[in-house]
Amino acid sequence: MSELPGTAEQGREGTAADEEVARLAARLDEAALAGRTVPRLTDAVRLDVPAAYRVQRALVERRLARGERLAGVKMGFTSRAKMAQMGVDDVIYGLLTDAMAVEDGGTLDVSALAHPRIEPEVAFLIGTPPGGGPSSPLSPADVERALAGVAVAWEVLDSRYDGFSFTLPDVVADNASAAAFGVGRWLPADGLDPRTLGMVLELDGRTAAVGSSAAVLGDPVRSLIAAARLAEEAGTPLLPGQVVLAGAATAAVALPPGTHARVTAAGLGRVEVTAR
Amino acid sequence: MSVTSSVTSAPAPPGGPDAVARAAGRLAEAGASGVPCAPVRDLLGTDVEAAYAVQHRLTSARLAEGARITGRKIGITSPAVQAQFGIDTPDYGTLFADMAVPDGDEIPYGAVCQPRAEAEVALVLDADLTHERHTVADLLRATAFALPAIEIVGSRIRDWDIELADTVADNASAGRYVLGTRPVPLDALDLRLAGMVLERRGTQVSTGAGAACLGNPLHAALWLADTLARLGHPLRAGDTVLTGALGPVVPVAPGDALEARVDGLGTVRVAFAPAPEGADGDGDDPNSAEGATR
Repeated sequence: MSELPGTAEQGREGTAADEEVARLAARLDEAALAGRTVPRLTDAVRLDVPAAYRVQRALVERRLARGERLAGVKMGFTSRAKMAQMGVDDVIYGLLTDAMAVEDGGTLDVSALAHPRIEPEVAFLIGTPPGGGPSSPLSPADVERALAGVAVAWEVLDSRYDGFSFTLPDVVADNASAAAFGVGRWLPADGLDPRTLGMVLELDGRTAAVGSSAAVLGDPVRSLIAAARLAEEAGTPLLPGQVVLAGAATAAVALPPGTHARVTAAGLGRVEVTAR
Repeated sequence: MSVTSSVTSAPAPPGGPDAVARAAGRLAEAGASGVPCAPVRDLLGTDVEAAYAVQHRLTSARLAEGARITGRKIGITSPAVQAQFGIDTPDYGTLFADMAVPDGDEIPYGAVCQPRAEAEVALVLDADLTHERHTVADLLRATAFALPAIEIVGSRIRDWDIELADTVADNASAGRYVLGTRPVPLDALDLRLAGMVLERRGTQVSTGAGAACLGNPLHAALWLADTLARLGHPLRAGDTVLTGALGPVVPVAPGDALEARVDGLGTVRVAFAPAPEGADGDGDDPNSAEGATR
């Protein structure tokens, strides 16, 4: 906990003290457990991005204390449109736990979610510790060495905020709206050019969204490199066996109960889930 | 599904018996002068059949001048744009040899009114498609190869203030088209999942995939083949078919350079000549779509 982002900011005016961080994390965690939403944190407190990452970490620590295990990271704001909308010029990340994972073809209980939305993604599987901190970003060769596989994936987002409305620190604190994810079959990454894979999201067998993996920073591998950087920066480097959800190829689509969702990506096959 | 069947009950064009001729005249003048005109729906109403009559009249005029038809383009292929126009079919226009721009070339300033760009899959045929109703098998057998394409659409109607009849009359807003140079046989492609990215000045401006074009660019081509055969001017061997946008259309301005990449098909590029000294740089510039209503 001592190397969390924002630690250096501690005690400075406008940044959150440990107690405050714990209190904000508890508010978001309890909202998620109860399946309800809360007002934006920034409506009531001053919160900068480093402090928001501390809230995120404290939120995830609560989940780990309940027996969940870290499963990887998810990247957010990886599309130019989303970055412009949020007025940011860097991606954000959130932490995935094993409790968020749904096996391919499985069911996801959305009754516990406030406003679930699903999006198609490319996922990477870490094979060897990649490193890749801010001072030594991953080279293409590092990426090749570190990757154990690539897969088509879905992610379900669910903001714990009223109306899915938030500022940048709010969404960082809320673990980048992470709620659930599923990955298809892992395939070897070598020989696959992931830059322009066509991706289709179908709901109940009908096309709901169409996009290209190029929407993810122009190349999902760039998102992986950013994930390694942010994870190193946070003192929690990516580990073998962890998953990196690189970002969405399309806008997110509402996922009502009873809906079957399937994501297909060129060369990666498909992955599916049923919401109940 | 046919373009014409949905309009058989439409009222006669409000412009009277010479509405088609007057609409064609208005568009021809805008095309010749480079100054966009008012919409033609005041003359045509919502009569799509009359709008195609305008388009065909303008096509005949171009043929009489010696222009050569190189193929057809399909427009309005995404559900979002169809909803915007209140229809559930695409539309089509005609491609002429002088609309074709070589890969990487520069389009002269002012050549296209209010230009916008989209990335597409082009099919080049080596057999006629003359049946009343075609199957995917007919289409696959008739297609020599596919190419990546950039279509530059342009509207001769001021500020892109178009409804369906306006764009149909205006040759489906066809402007220029650029084909890639590496032919790819269809057996090497899954066009539904062919991802697309379009960059303007090196910055990503549009992404999508084949599924965005009527579910599959081949479906759009089938619609075109059936429609044209029914109208008595079927697709022919040698024709190029621009199947429709794979992602959102984007405005372009003088000086811009575009590159489209379609997975499995490679890249295609085109540039726009910069504005000459003293050119009107405000939002009314008909050579730029930047100021157009979006």
